[in-house]
Amino acid sequence: MSEKRYVMGDTAIARGALEAGVRVVAGYPGTPATEIVEECLGVPGVHVEWANNEKVAFELCTGASLCKVRAMPVMKHNGTNVVTDFLMHVNFTGIRGGLVLISADDPGGLSSQNEEDTRILVHQYAHLPVFDPSSPQEAKAMVKEAFDLSEKTELVFCLRPVTRVCHARGIIEFEDLPQNLPAAHYEPDRERFIMSGVEVPKFGGLKRPQIRHRWLNEKQPLLQEIMEESPYNWMEKGEGKVGLVGCSMGYTLVKEAEQYLDQKLPLLKLGTLPLPRKKIKEFVKGLEKVVIYEETEPFVEGLFKKIFYEEKIEVEVLGRSGFVPSDGELNLQMILETIHKAAPGVKVNQPEVPALDIHIPIRTRTQCVGCNYRGILNALKQTVRKYKGIVAGDIGCHDAGSFRPIELQSTIYCMGSSIPMASGMTLSGVNRPVFAFIGDSTFYHNGILGLMNAATNKINVNVILGENTVTAMTGFQPHPGTGVTLAGEKTTKVDVPKLAQSMGISYRVVNPYDIKQCREALEAAVKEEGPSLIVSSMPCYLLSTRRGQKVFEPREVVLNPERCNGCMICINDFGCPAISFNKQQKKVSIDPMICVGCALCIDVCKRGAIS
Amino acid sequence: MRGLRTLHRCLQKGGHFMKMDVVITGVGGQGNIFASLVISQYAMNKNLNVLGAETIGAAQRGGSVVSHIRISDAKIYSPLISRGQADLLIGMEFVEMLRHIRLLDPKGTYLLNAMRIPTVLNNMGLDEYPANEEILQAARNYCPNGYVIEASALAKKLGNIQMTNVVMLGALVKIMPFFDYQEIKWLINANSPERFKEPNARGFEEGYELIKSN
Repeated sequence: MSEKRYVMGDTAIARGALEAGVRVVAGYPGTPATEIVEECLGVPGVHVEWANNEKVAFELCTGASLCKVRAMPVMKHNGTNVVTDFLMHVNFTGIRGGLVLISADDPGGLSSQNEEDTRILVHQYAHLPVFDPSSPQEAKAMVKEAFDLSEKTELVFCLRPVTRVCHARGIIEFEDLPQNLPAAHYEPDRERFIMSGVEVPKFGGLKRPQIRHRWLNEKQPLLQEIMEESPYNWMEKGEGKVGLVGCSMGYTLVKEAEQYLDQKLPLLKLGTLPLPRKKIKEFVKGLEKVVIYEETEPFVEGLFKKIFYEEKIEVEVLGRSGFVPSDGELNLQMILETIHKAAPGVKVNQPEVPALDIHIPIRTRTQCVGCNYRGILNALKQTVRKYKGIVAGDIGCHDAGSFRPIELQSTIYCMGSSIPMASGMTLSGVNRPVFAFIGDSTFYHNGILGLMNAATNKINVNVILGENTVTAMTGFQPHPGTGVTLAGEKTTKVDVPKLAQSMGISYRVVNPYDIKQCREALEAAVKEEGPSLIVSSMPCYLLSTRRGQKVFEPREVVLNPERCNGCMICINDFGCPAISFNKQQKKVSIDPMICVGCALCIDVCKRGAIS
Repeated sequence: MRGLRTLHRCLQKGGHFMKMDVVITGVGGQGNIFASLVISQYAMNKNLNVLGAETIGAAQRGGSVVSHIRISDAKIYSPLISRGQADLLIGMEFVEMLRHIRLLDPKGTYLLNAMRIPTVLNNMGLDEYPANEEILQAARNYCPNGYVIEASALAKKLGNIQMTNVVMLGALVKIMPFFDYQEIKWLINANSPERFKEPNARGFEEGYELIKSN
């Protein structure tokens, strides 16, 4: 029995995996992939978890696969980078139970620190097959088929949905979940699963890595054959000598563009890697050029050029290597302009809309009103100013401290990079106190290694751990410092002071709602040699409020305009959305509708105007 | 399977294909997603195709939120509405409506909640928030067919500013005959938690009355 529901692409992907009989799902939260893991929860016999990072999730899923059950590691593109080392081994060994890697890309960096195209990493570098869906419906079908094909080929299959697939909503057919899945069992096969540079007698003493590499290369013709028949690649007839190729959202946007064109151009929709070479050859017969629309790198474009070179096909190949903008998300405007540029004979009849002549203010994200990070960030801002410090930042809610107006953190790269970068700054001899600011989810993801390194190598770095006991940014997922699992069961909780003790690092636990205490701890850390850890510990305000728990005693906060001299410290060093500046009166005011009474600003104001 | 191009031509020739592209804009926490789900389910219950897109993630931290809902009886490809395509723009906040107004077909309709939510940088005196009249003038210049209502003020009067979205839906039903009063009301009820069912129904009814028949 099936049922139609209007759901998000992420839910469709999760449902596809469940219908395919997935038994182990693991990931690390990251937009736009987070909901895929959460939507797998609640099916008996299916283990779903947040791992502390993506590599752990992937390795765990591979373990399950080797015991012949289906598994799905889920991550955003940054996570796929973290997984690369393992990926470059599991591609050589292959897998047993279907293993489908979900690697969600975020073109345009809508909710990311960077933008990248993980098809390249998975397909070009690891030589593994990739499905590139163009809609939630297609993503669901692809996931189901990827599990079957993964078992058939013994290879990891990858689904690479972009944000507009993950966070699109569409009508999805929910089918029944499979019953009585086969039981797990393990048989050793050391020639395959021991990845080591050992001689293989059968191959005249060649080393195993080379033999496994050969095994992977020999899989490619089979993949090629499968993709040639794939339902995710098709041709649509049209007129003229210019052909269009659409992958992922590129296809949907070309279909949108068609309504504005006076002529239908030949169109090839592609959703697989490897590419269907025969289909491409057939498509380009009689064409003079093709324009390729893909998210985001000119990857399929490069593969087309390779095929055309090998097949001696003289057709011009255009795409995202400059003809179409090489960065950001594709949009309809880009497609209409480039179609017209490639085929000047085709008329574009898109109605014009009036321009707008008015200033539209940008709405930047910030910490919530009442967030405890604002207290520790302010204490750090004061300390940094006093001692001319430098702050290396990390990923998470606290990153908004690097935006206007606070502008505290000087660097933000990827998960866990704050502590090693701060260490390097110290070791450069810059002769200024150096701080690393990291949230707890990020700390358990990868940050802990940097701290251990600083301890071992006696590096004089001051680490601030913002311990809000949850992965707040992506929607409150638990982590090793939370004490509950994804399924809501109680579990162990990492004891950070004991961790610091075992590393031989001095540590101070502070309450971020006490700015004075934070400042004193920071000053003490600056004055001592060697690594110092400051644990700024308080549960996330937003989550606590939703649960009806108090993290501070709310009180009425009033501003005395007589005392306010408009110095703006409370704005520039604190940045609470409840405090606003009146340009005419040159004084600030506190909006009682927005203020939640955390009272942190009382300590921020040096003139005693807030009480 | 007919393409949108066919649909477009049919519409031009007065054919029977229909489409309704809706954009809802606002600030995180204003209830965009609830409104977008009600509209989508309404279309789904009428056996129409629906495809939508949401920007989420920074939403709970006071960021801009925009939902796209595409409804048609033909196949829909892109979840995103492009320049000048939207038939209806629902603005839950002045500046957020302005930010996306060029998605609206100038011959379409907008419904604006007269509510200002200054940005952090506005509050700090580091950026300007245009005056209401300036915004309304820009909107009128762009599209003559607009409705501006005090939905948040009414919701607040009814006891909860969170009801802004249902007030807006009530007004919407009055101005767009595509939406059926009883069915939207039923969907609001079905999607509301028990304790909000009654106040939401009231908000919807009063929102409907906000628009004077003309």
